[in-house]
Amino acid sequence: MFSYYIKIALISIKRNWGLSSLMILAIALGIGATMTTVTVNYLMSADPIPHKSDQLYYVRLDSWDPNNPYNEGISPPAQMTYIDATNLLKAKKAYRQNLSSQAFGVIEPPNPDDLPLFVFGRANSSDFFAMFDVPFLFGSPWDENSDLSKEQVIVLSKQTNDRLFGGENSVGKTLRFESKVFKVVGVLDHYDPKPRYFDISTGAFDDPADFYVPFSLIAEQAVRRSGNTNCWKTFGDGFEAFLASECIWIAFWVELQNQDQVEAYQTFLDAYANEQKNFGRFPRPIDNRLTNVTDYMEEREVVADDARMMMAMSFMFLVVCLLNTVGLLLAKFIGKAPEIGLRQALGASRSTLFLQYIIESGCIGLAGGLLGLLFAYLGLQSVETLYGSYMQGLATLDFNMVVFAMVLALVSTVIAGIYPTWRACRIQPARQLKCQ
Amino acid sequence: MLEMKNINKIFQTADVQTHALRDFNLTVNEGDFVSVTGPSGSGKTTFLNIAGLLETYTSGDFYLDGQNVGMLNDSGRSKMRNQKIGFVFQGFNLIPDLNLFYNVDVPLRYRGFNAKERKQRIEENLARVGLASRMKHVPSQLSGGQQQRVAIARALATDPRFLLADEPTGNLDSEMADGVMSLLEDINKQGTTIIMVTHDPELALRASRRIQVKDGRVSELDIVAEKALA
Repeated sequence: MFSYYIKIALISIKRNWGLSSLMILAIALGIGATMTTVTVNYLMSADPIPHKSDQLYYVRLDSWDPNNPYNEGISPPAQMTYIDATNLLKAKKAYRQNLSSQAFGVIEPPNPDDLPLFVFGRANSSDFFAMFDVPFLFGSPWDENSDLSKEQVIVLSKQTNDRLFGGENSVGKTLRFESKVFKVVGVLDHYDPKPRYFDISTGAFDDPADFYVPFSLIAEQAVRRSGNTNCWKTFGDGFEAFLASECIWIAFWVELQNQDQVEAYQTFLDAYANEQKNFGRFPRPIDNRLTNVTDYMEEREVVADDARMMMAMSFMFLVVCLLNTVGLLLAKFIGKAPEIGLRQALGASRSTLFLQYIIESGCIGLAGGLLGLLFAYLGLQSVETLYGSYMQGLATLDFNMVVFAMVLALVSTVIAGIYPTWRACRIQPARQLKCQ
Repeated sequence: MLEMKNINKIFQTADVQTHALRDFNLTVNEGDFVSVTGPSGSGKTTFLNIAGLLETYTSGDFYLDGQNVGMLNDSGRSKMRNQKIGFVFQGFNLIPDLNLFYNVDVPLRYRGFNAKERKQRIEENLARVGLASRMKHVPSQLSGGQQQRVAIARALATDPRFLLADEPTGNLDSEMADGVMSLLEDINKQGTTIIMVTHDPELALRASRRIQVKDGRVSELDIVAEKALA
């Protein structure tokens, strides 16, 4: 009977093409608007590294001002001082650890005819690549020794390698970066996690890094650092003084494989903070935190409030579209009263008819959902055009979203169809048959 | 067998009560061809609607094949309509978007026959009314008489015990009306009980039994005497 109902529904949709088109359009507009905002929110809040997000922990230590708590005491400072980050790195108490900062500089292309490139990248530990499952196209990361010995090695993003070396395997080649010679040890495949969870201090949805260099080169001033820096205590002149200051500017992550390791590392952090108190640091009560990826994204409200607001408004728009659909379905089904009366006379019960017309509503909903997906695609293209690279990667419909859109369209239209269908099935067949 | 005992039907509006049937008593036996006549507003169609389980009654008892119809819910009434009753309407009531095959298919779907049996019944009954070759046509491609034949084929497809016809020739010219009546007579001869409401006295006389409804009450007419007078 189900296929029969589908067939009857399609005939009915074809027969009342104008009215059906209006309903499909109304649902499509609602679904299109909703899916545009839902997709952006969904991708913003998606787990960027689902297979190990519960093993990667962002480390925060409260080394802040005793008289003026960071973030009103709600959470410890969002980044770490150079002293603490390097101390924790040296302690090697985690399975893997990474400290990183944004860096920038100028690369002189191998071809002297090409213009120099102004690039933004990251200075980080060698563990960065293994911790965050960074894919390599050519070569491999530098090793810990390169880090310790401050070797001038560089890993290029795919895009930078394309620009400098035309996409060829450039491992082993050298380039001039910040007027110094760097050896290329690796080239990444496309790598642009959204959100960029390992450093959201400079924007969770900013462009991916153009290059990666050992963090030790920052202290050497072989590479210039950039990014968010906050200080609560004055410090002397010079870069050495800055490194020894209480300024926070480094993101520190650890990889811990199980709960025992998490607890052990927390104990270590607290012991470290107490030890630092002996040196006159950490004047505030101990508040050291280990936060996994998803909790950290949530705590830092990676999904902006205005994005949530837009999503709520688009759902309200969908409701308005569905209310219009209710009216149109009512008009359509009441117009079919003679046929409903006839079908009752020929043996259809009210429940049978209810099912038949709900299936027709569902067919309209699916058609609206398909058109809505097209509208959502266009909407996302518009969002990407409007916001540029900020939205790159966030404005795409994945399989989950396509399924969600179709289910949303189907369920909402079936719900919208309940009242019109119920009204249609309440008609008295005798009157309709006499009227024909 | 159809048996109505003291059936009353009252239509109630905010201000007015209309007594459509008053202590309506009628028994129709298997194989009868009953014509129902009466002036407009006398209650003929109300009787037919109640007989066809399309409308409920206010009081009284109604048995169809020995089963008390008043005890049935919507689903039970639908099932009984589908299994025991066939309808032929004045306005044909074919579904305009469906071709003849699928129009006749409608009650068979609700009965739950499989595809093979449905096809067999559709072809048999369209052949029975002389329209086997027009199966793929839609109703608008047929004359009024042909449309009514399709409606009859649809009514017969489920092998109903009763065929209820409400002015089956009302929209047809005399030649087509005669053809449809002949078809109904043949069907009756093959064993189907027919109850036909008509305004046309000549057609009423072609039934084996004639009743008249007046002011919601029924009276039996002597059809033999009437035929002699005619």
